[in-house]
Amino acid sequence: MFGIVVFLSCVLSANFAYGDGKPPVVFAAASLNTVLQELMKAEGEKRGLRARFSFAGSAALARQIAEGAPADLFFSANVRWMEYLEKEELIAAGTRVDLLGNRLVVVAPKGEGFEVEPRRGFDFAGAFSDRLALGDPGHVPAGIYARQALEQLGWWRSLAGRLAPAPDVRAALVFVERGECAAGVVYATDAMVSAKVEVVAELPVGAHEPIVYPVAAVRGRASEKVEQLLRFFQSPEAAAVFARHGFTPLNAKAEKEERKE
Amino acid sequence: MLTSEEWEVLLLSLRVGFFCVLFSLPPGIALGWLLARCQFKGKILLDGICHLPLVLPPVVTGYLLLLLFGRRGLLGGFFEQVLGVRLAFDWKGAVLASAVVGFPLMLRAVRLGIESVDPRLERVARTLGAGRLRAFCTVTLRLAAPSLLVGSLLTFARSLGEFGATITFVSNIAGETRTIPSAIYTYLNQPGEDAAAARLVVISIALSLAALLASEWVARRMAPPK
Repeated sequence: MFGIVVFLSCVLSANFAYGDGKPPVVFAAASLNTVLQELMKAEGEKRGLRARFSFAGSAALARQIAEGAPADLFFSANVRWMEYLEKEELIAAGTRVDLLGNRLVVVAPKGEGFEVEPRRGFDFAGAFSDRLALGDPGHVPAGIYARQALEQLGWWRSLAGRLAPAPDVRAALVFVERGECAAGVVYATDAMVSAKVEVVAELPVGAHEPIVYPVAAVRGRASEKVEQLLRFFQSPEAAAVFARHGFTPLNAKAEKEERKE
Repeated sequence: MLTSEEWEVLLLSLRVGFFCVLFSLPPGIALGWLLARCQFKGKILLDGICHLPLVLPPVVTGYLLLLLFGRRGLLGGFFEQVLGVRLAFDWKGAVLASAVVGFPLMLRAVRLGIESVDPRLERVARTLGAGRLRAFCTVTLRLAAPSLLVGSLLTFARSLGEFGATITFVSNIAGETRTIPSAIYTYLNQPGEDAAAARLVVISIALSLAALLASEWVARRMAPPK
């Protein structure tokens, strides 16, 4: 009996080798789930790069890093949480890159779309019944942007008491997919990933602060592997994968402008 | 001491906990009796299924609840159309989530209680003229009552701490589904609200500890004298 316990302890604590050393740990926003996994499979493997991901709401991830979680890279859906960590001096200097942009859309369950005109004066609250799913406007980046846009369009007040705040944007998407909510505000990239929702409106880009996804290395963890991964995220091949999923590669634009000069 | 929002959260948690226990008792007693007294094919499987919520990740439980009891779910449609009860985004859904998650605790306690009642006492009651149901209620349940109380307290304590399934199934709506754990989660996610979170944490610990100690005390009081 004792022998079995000892044997199991040895086997279960063994490190299953990934080659030399362990792949970097990337804490990334929930909305990056699909694209990052595909990126590593499609392009990362060709270059022998691997990463281990933890996807959650950016706020939760930032808090975990502040409490010492062993993340090597932080890929947030909002500059606010990156700036929070920078203020706490937890980001490796000079490693931050504002990499991607995104757009907000209003979605409805597939087949249950309705007319929406994204302008002030449109009776959005009256266009659907029951609740609007969105990331929690208190802390989820998608929810914060959604609230800004809804306020700008003058729709926010009429939606009071009709929100279904979700812990991250993918959970909000699930509520709409399941028909639990007749409408939701999610990223354009999330709507692309799901076959069970349809886009009923694109919210004007100027209605909220620019959606920027910054990525940076955590202080004290900027190893060679981590920097390789960061450079890879900024490469044109990665930009192509991001673009295919609906993200706007901001960095690629900057690179192109530099080459023109 | 507590803001009005925090009172709202506390009262909602107590309300959800109370109804969770109330609705867990009948199925708990029924299945407890079934597993304690009956032998049938697939008994072990049933036992395993009843204990699933204890080992499944709460988020998975919440997602399964959404599939079953959401608007388009197998049972959700029935609830909404026939009974007029909407479960998602409603405190009743929070009750359901807590009840499902706490059910294994109720079941174990009830089953042990019924098993500890000597079946001969039930048969004696029958020979004295009591029907099956009367014998069950007046003899078995009375004798198993302490176990029912223990099960209720454990389920209540579990309900106070239920978060993953609740937030996945009924979201986090102030006044409707924002129980103590969801409120703590909300406060922790907002810089500067640590004090409010801390107050709720203390209350949460105090309530859960009280329920657990009470259940332990009852269990000891009612243990057969050695």
